[in-house]
Amino acid sequence: MAGNERPLSPRLSVYRWLPAMVASIAHRITGVLLLLFVPFYLWMLHAMTGSPEEFEQAILLLHSPLGRLSLWLVSVALTYHFCNGIRFLCLDAGWGESRGMMRTSARAVLTIAAGAGLFFGVILW
Amino acid sequence: MVSRVKGKELGTGHSGLFDWYLQRLSAVVLACLLPMALMLVWWVYDGGWSQLELLTWLDSFVVRVLHTLLILALMAHGYVGLKVIFEDYIHTGWRVLLLGLMLVAMVLFAVWWLALIWAWGG
Repeated sequence: MAGNERPLSPRLSVYRWLPAMVASIAHRITGVLLLLFVPFYLWMLHAMTGSPEEFEQAILLLHSPLGRLSLWLVSVALTYHFCNGIRFLCLDAGWGESRGMMRTSARAVLTIAAGAGLFFGVILW
Repeated sequence: MVSRVKGKELGTGHSGLFDWYLQRLSAVVLACLLPMALMLVWWVYDGGWSQLELLTWLDSFVVRVLHTLLILALMAHGYVGLKVIFEDYIHTGWRVLLLGLMLVAMVLFAVWWLALIWAWGG
């Protein structure tokens, strides 16, 4: 591919930002984020099924600021990825494909994510 | 576009449909199982369950099988998702190496995870 000067997708900088675009890029960002936390899930399962001391330590760490921030990030990212994922599946099924519907549903999932951020933030702090 | 670089990439030019299908299929499995896993974490975080209660639940055969299904779906979904992202943003040969590394890392985590699930009580 060296020396290939043709424009390659996606050319993010040339488009005006629209809700459906934000929803799509946020789906990718939250997806990568959720994947990056895989070692964290594994560590948690390992600790919680270990000795009683390890369990206590895991609970303690989960309640620390860093643990709560992680829990918040994962919860919000998963809520968003879940809702927008269902939106994508609906679009694949040919449901809600009109421009107006896509914009409305994109706004809806983004609003749900913002609400989830607020909700989880309030319970954690 | 894909067939043009056939032989250099992971999978042939026509393997995209399988990727697409695998991504949706694993998505449905994850949509059914992941919310439960997240709620369980919150439940334990909140002190709703002692370690014994958590272990008793995780120990049941049905939960072990569902947990296994969750890990397999997670790995498939993570791999295809990353592949799609890498294909969009990395236009050099690096992406083959990166994807290979990610695949190895994910298989490692999956095996470790599955060993953990099937080890206790067994």
